[in-house]
Amino acid sequence: MSKRSKIVRAFEYLFLSIVAFISVFPFFWMIIAATNKSVDVTRGAMLPGTYLIENVKALMSSSLNYFNAFKNSLIIAVVTTALAMVISSAAGYAFEIYKTKVKTTIFNIILLSMMIPFAALIVPLFRMFTKFKNVPILSFFSLDTQGSVIIIAVATAFLIFFFRQNTKTFPKELVEAARIDGLGEFRIFTKIYMPTMKSTYAAAIVVTFMSSWNNYMWPLIALQSDSNRTLQLIIAAMGASYTPDYGMIMVAVVIATIPSALIFFLMQKQFVAGMTGSVKG
Amino acid sequence: MKKKVLAALLAATMVFGLAACGNNSSNETTADTTAAASAETSADTSAPTDETTAAADGETITIWAWDESFNIVAANRAKEIYQAENPGVNVEVVTMAQDDIVTKLNTSLSSGSYDGLPDIVLIEDYRIQGYLTSYGDEFADLSSIVSADDFASYKTGVTQKDGVMYGVPFDSGVAATFYRTDLIEEAGYTQADMEDMTWEKYIEIGKAVKEKTGKNMLTLDPSDIGQIRMMLQSAGAWYTDADGNVTLADNQALKDAITIYKSMVEADIATQISGWDPFVGAFNNGDVASVITGCWIASSVKNAEDQSGNWAVAAFPKMEANSSSVNASSIGGAGWYVLKNVGHEATAVDFLGKTFASSTDLMNQLAADINLVSTLTAAESVENYSVGDEFFGGQEVFNDFAAWTQEVPTVNYSLHTYAIESIVAEAVQAIVDGADMDETLADYQAQAEAAVAQ
Amino acid sequence: MNSKLNRKAWLFIIPSVVLIAVFVFYPMIQAFFTSLQSGMANNLEFAGLANYKRLFNDSTFKKALFNTILYLVIQVPIMIILALVISSMLNDKKLKGRGLFRTAIFLPCVTSLVAYSIIFKSLFANDGFINAVLMNLNIISQPITWIADKFYARVLIIIAITWRWTGYNMVFYLSGMQGIDDSIYEAAAIDGATGFQKFKSITLPLLKPIILFTTINSTIGTLQLFDEVYNITSGKGGPANATITISHYIYNLLFRYQPNFGYAAAVSYVIVILIMILSFIQMKVGDDKE
Repeated sequence: MSKRSKIVRAFEYLFLSIVAFISVFPFFWMIIAATNKSVDVTRGAMLPGTYLIENVKALMSSSLNYFNAFKNSLIIAVVTTALAMVISSAAGYAFEIYKTKVKTTIFNIILLSMMIPFAALIVPLFRMFTKFKNVPILSFFSLDTQGSVIIIAVATAFLIFFFRQNTKTFPKELVEAARIDGLGEFRIFTKIYMPTMKSTYAAAIVVTFMSSWNNYMWPLIALQSDSNRTLQLIIAAMGASYTPDYGMIMVAVVIATIPSALIFFLMQKQFVAGMTGSVKG
Repeated sequence: MKKKVLAALLAATMVFGLAACGNNSSNETTADTTAAASAETSADTSAPTDETTAAADGETITIWAWDESFNIVAANRAKEIYQAENPGVNVEVVTMAQDDIVTKLNTSLSSGSYDGLPDIVLIEDYRIQGYLTSYGDEFADLSSIVSADDFASYKTGVTQKDGVMYGVPFDSGVAATFYRTDLIEEAGYTQADMEDMTWEKYIEIGKAVKEKTGKNMLTLDPSDIGQIRMMLQSAGAWYTDADGNVTLADNQALKDAITIYKSMVEADIATQISGWDPFVGAFNNGDVASVITGCWIASSVKNAEDQSGNWAVAAFPKMEANSSSVNASSIGGAGWYVLKNVGHEATAVDFLGKTFASSTDLMNQLAADINLVSTLTAAESVENYSVGDEFFGGQEVFNDFAAWTQEVPTVNYSLHTYAIESIVAEAVQAIVDGADMDETLADYQAQAEAAVAQ
Repeated sequence: MNSKLNRKAWLFIIPSVVLIAVFVFYPMIQAFFTSLQSGMANNLEFAGLANYKRLFNDSTFKKALFNTILYLVIQVPIMIILALVISSMLNDKKLKGRGLFRTAIFLPCVTSLVAYSIIFKSLFANDGFINAVLMNLNIISQPITWIADKFYARVLIIIAITWRWTGYNMVFYLSGMQGIDDSIYEAAAIDGATGFQKFKSITLPLLKPIILFTTINSTIGTLQLFDEVYNITSGKGGPANATITISHYIYNLLFRYQPNFGYAAAVSYVIVILIMILSFIQMKVGDDKE
């Protein structure tokens, strides 16, 4: 390596290390805080304490049912992500591969739906959902069901937009070739497109899961029974106290971070896997 | 291809089936409560409200409140007391963040939907008039269990509308001056100086404390002008007049309050913070010599165990320049309300009647458990109030709080406290930064009027 | 395209269209009609454009608008550039520890909102870690009151948002870069191109669709910014509304003050119009000619 590129390389390591440190530090602080007493946490303790077991015990005996909420969040996130990967990606794929003027217009209209702040939709949505209770199929999604949280997040302009943009770099010749080989359109989607776009799906899975996991506003409004509450709602209830027990809250939060981190960890190899089966030359 | 589509649909249905399975328990409880509700309402219409026959076996009432270490503890104690006499009634106490309670109440009540709403809900005093005005038909008349004489007058003023009592007042937000006796002494003052003092004297002492000990006297939060609120109430005034009209420009008490606020900033005796934790952290860490706020801060003050014995509590300061100002005020505080259309009105009312509306035993226990200063007049002399608190140098703080509670001037918080205060906070900042007081207040008066004109 | 293919194509699209039409457009249109009404809670009466007129004189709204646009103009470019640089570095197969760096930089995104606001509030408190470090390095002599100061509170918000979302955009760029063949880079290296030139002439143009996606996404996200500000300023948008965003103001109008659903809807539509204009501009500038 030339001297110049050595310096550049060294600079890159330094830069990335600083960025990584800044990114990780609050996390690291969070884990330390989980081992400390609440009062010490507010005083800004930097060293690990000995309070971890007590904090975990406090969490388990809290009147807020943490682990049930964890389960609820997990189910919602997994189902939402799975469905979104089929429904939204199919739309994004189709808008690009089968492009027509009409479809592009519809796509642009769908983009509009990203532009309204969710807060403005809460009350009208809530009222709509109160009517679902009595309709046969729709009662699966009525208020206070996990369905009501899932159904909202399955088709989003965000994901459709994402898949459409990524599909622009997908070699359309593959589609032609597959048609000549006699594959049906749906088969082309599942057997050719999906495997080739693994990297895109990996990224989409991570962000969809994360977004569902961290979702607050709609679950707050739609879910009503205590037993249906999701994790973020429980953590917020813990934090909204005159004397929050920060040690316990940090344990709750560290545990709450694990699923998203895990999904990222599992998927990240895929981001950099490269496209399989690309047409060369 | 059709097969694939069918397969996909099938898969989707199965997935939803799975998800729905997980909701069976919630469907069941909804069925339960609706059955109980219909049994309940038929009992209601056939007989006049009679406390002793209200509770139906197997019935569940739900209570929403915030703060696991304070309100929830209170609700659970009340639940124990009630269930001792009425073992057949289930009481579910749910912890939710206060903001979330407000969000859900507004969304559900405005949509006429009662699923998932609680029977009893804790509502902050500043908010209740707004709810009573917007959703008046949703709240149960509690005249049968509460009368205005049973509680401190400034609290019952808040829970009524058109002469009808809708709420059971709960905790006292009576304001007091918590201060460090050691730091005051170091500055050359005695505890006697802190008794029944004026703000002007407070500032003077603050300057001495800063000079002799280097510590600031208090914290100020530009987004939370609680001090202004308290000063207003001590003078029997508010952001609105008796008719509910916004009054900022011609509000003498407000001008006096802002003048004092500004002097504190200019005397450099205040630490600027924002948010709850830095607020508590400041006195827990010994960075400030005093904190003037509601009596409910006592448990937070006592968190710093190493400061035990060095604190005392004096009355709220009055504004010398304002002749209506007294040494008493309030900040915060809430009450228990019953949502009558959720289905268990009679039981909920009975519950409150036997606990928060009358039980001095409950109040006594809560004084010990959560440092509750009750507003129930009958609880003024419960035994736990006469216990000296070592942390405060042996002072019988509860007796003091209870006594001061009776002196708090009654004020009509009207409907838009938070909206107006957000605007006033901007005005205060502008004035502190040097803008002309009368001009700024006139400006913001127009803003506030626009904000509340519906 | 023949009509048979076209019909099949619609099958891919219909589920999404139906869902979005029902769960977004229908309430969106309802919200529009609500914006033409005014009143407390359920006492709504038709008011025409009164709500929109009210916006012009609303000082809090103007503050919120200013703050929101400020965040947009400063924060989004910083974050996009940072994310591009980082992913470009991390795309180099010869760099060691890429997996670790990737995970570390993405970690802020998975931190729950509650946690990260508690952490940031603590780190940037008057006696917090950041002030301690800055004082030790003699960069400042007095602790900065981050959260209680008009200027620094905004700086803090920008830092917080950048911290949180850079990794997110990094993921999109990294995944997009997988579509760029290594051989192109190799050929350029043989021709003597430096890292920077490769970045400018190869990466950027080929990533254009993704970059456009992230800028529009970030623009929309920042214009709708709520969570970060709400949590870090403990719901107040302070100090004295110095950091409040439009979404936060809408939230206050809906839930914190006496609910005026009509006015809140009107404010929401202002955001919609803003976003529409900005996105339209970005699309025209960035989208590939078809």
